[in-house]
Formats: sequence, C-alpha cells, structure tokens
Amino acid sequence: MFLLIIQLIILSVLAGALTLWGCYFPYPSPLIRWGLPPNKRWPEAQIRHWLEMGGFQQAFLNYFYRDPERAPPPGNSILAPADGLVTSAALRDGVRYLVIALSFWDMHVQRSPVSGTVIKVESKGKDFMDGEGREFAFLREKYCPVQKRVVFSSDSGEIAVRLITSLAARRIEIWVKDGETVTRGQRIGRILLGSTVVLELPETLNLSALVGEHVKAGETVVVEEMSSA
Amino acid sequence: MNAFWWTYGHLGWGFFALSVFTAIWWLFFDLCWRLLAIRIGRLLALMAVGWVIGIGCILFGFYLAGW
Repeated sequence: MFLLIIQLIILSVLAGALTLWGCYFPYPSPLIRWGLPPNKRWPEAQIRHWLEMGGFQQAFLNYFYRDPERAPPPGNSILAPADGLVTSAALRDGVRYLVIALSFWDMHVQRSPVSGTVIKVESKGKDFMDGEGREFAFLREKYCPVQKRVVFSSDSGEIAVRLITSLAARRIEIWVKDGETVTRGQRIGRILLGSTVVLELPETLNLSALVGEHVKAGETVVVEEMSSA
Repeated sequence: MNAFWWTYGHLGWGFFALSVFTAIWWLFFDLCWRLLAIRIGRLLALMAVGWVIGIGCILFGFYLAGW
C-alpha cells in the first residue's frame, strides 16, 4: 500500500506538470520559466498579446523595469544612451543619427551620453515628426511615434537624445529638466515598452559604434575620447 | 505479464516506469524545443527515436527481470 501511495504521488506530480504545460502552451510553463533566458521566458508573441490585452505578467514587469547600476568608462568619450542594437548611423544635414533599437528584453532606462547641461527637453505627441522628418530611415516603419527629445550642451557640441515610442505604448518619462547639469552615464529617463532611442551627434565626430553592435547605456563608447574644446 | 500492470498491491513497475519516462521525456522535449535552435521536424524525429529507445530499454529490462 505504501508503494502504491508513493507511485500515485509521483504520477500525480507528473500529471500536474503536464497539465501546467498544456495550460500555458505555446508559452513556457512556470515550472521551467525561471531557468530560461529572458527572450525565451517571455516570447515576443506573448508580450505582444499582453500589449493588446493591456495586462502583463508581474514577473515580466519586474524584469522590464530593472534599472541596474552602470559604470561609465573614464574620460570624455560619448556613451550610448540606451541598451539595444545599433540599426543605423545615417548622416543627414550635418547631423549623425545613431539609431538604437530596443527589444522587449533590453533594459529601458536611458542615460546621458555626455557631461554637460540640458538645454531643452522637447515633449511632443504624434505630430512631432510631421513635416520634419517622417522620411528618416529610423522612422519608416513607425507610424506617428511619440517622442521626447533631450538636448545637451557639452564639450563635443550640441548633442541630442530622442526617445521614441509607439502610439500603443506612448509613455516616456524624462527625469532631467532644462538647465540641469548632467554627468556622463546619469539616468535621464525611461521609455515604457518603447522601442527606439536616437543619438544625434555633430557630423565632425567619428563614430566607433558599428551598425549591428549591441550597446549598453552608460557603458558602451560610441564616440572615442576627444580633446576638450 | 500481469505483473507489468499490477503487482502485490501496487502499480506494476513496468507500467510505472513507462508512465514516468514518457511524461519526463515529453517535458524534456518541450525544454529542448525552447532552448535549441533546431528545426522542429528534426527535433521531433530525434525525440521520437529517443523515446523508442527508452521504452525499448524499459521493456527489455522488464523482460530480463522476468517479472
């Protein structure tokens, strides 16, 4: 009788595991989720489903809102403002646009690329790009994105960081104000479920970041150290 | 062969082993599917072969034990 009970307990545990598997399929069961890398733990299809439904798994939100410390390298090199993949570095009208695409699993806190002063924080809605640059490569696949643009005055000249999100998410937090002094790597804001950060640089600066490179906010150097102006 | 299904007041070890192995193998397949960059057809074939070998070993062991 004792053996039968042990056998039934083991089979019940396995049946429970299979039931959980069936309930969550095609997404991972809670039993294995903890051991999977983030992009497998919360597959893109599942996150998009949550976006449509307007509700998210708390564990995913906890992961998404993470804000780890970063250690900027010494010197006055220009740093990446966001975690993500560099998708283009186009030059247009004297400005180099370094486009960083954020995935759902990238850390979404943005950091200042330079030490300097915040000249202005532009906060616009869906019409921000109308007539100005809808044709920009980094916006081709985005319909009327919501943006905030933080402009810095630094030794390297005027540098701006655009935080872009979609109409679906449309939430951007900016944590710096006009006239505020910032240091390299300082937190400047966060895109909530957003997608793109663009670093605008003077064309005279030589980029060290390459298209296809995965960069880290406040740590990856995108323009090598230069002598002070 | 009755001992395969039921023996001395508990489930037969043959049936028990088959059930446990099949359930664990199914969950293992799911894990491999999520972690490995492999075509689903190839993975299905590999896992099916593995399952057949596992079941074969269990049945063979059961046969050798003469239960």
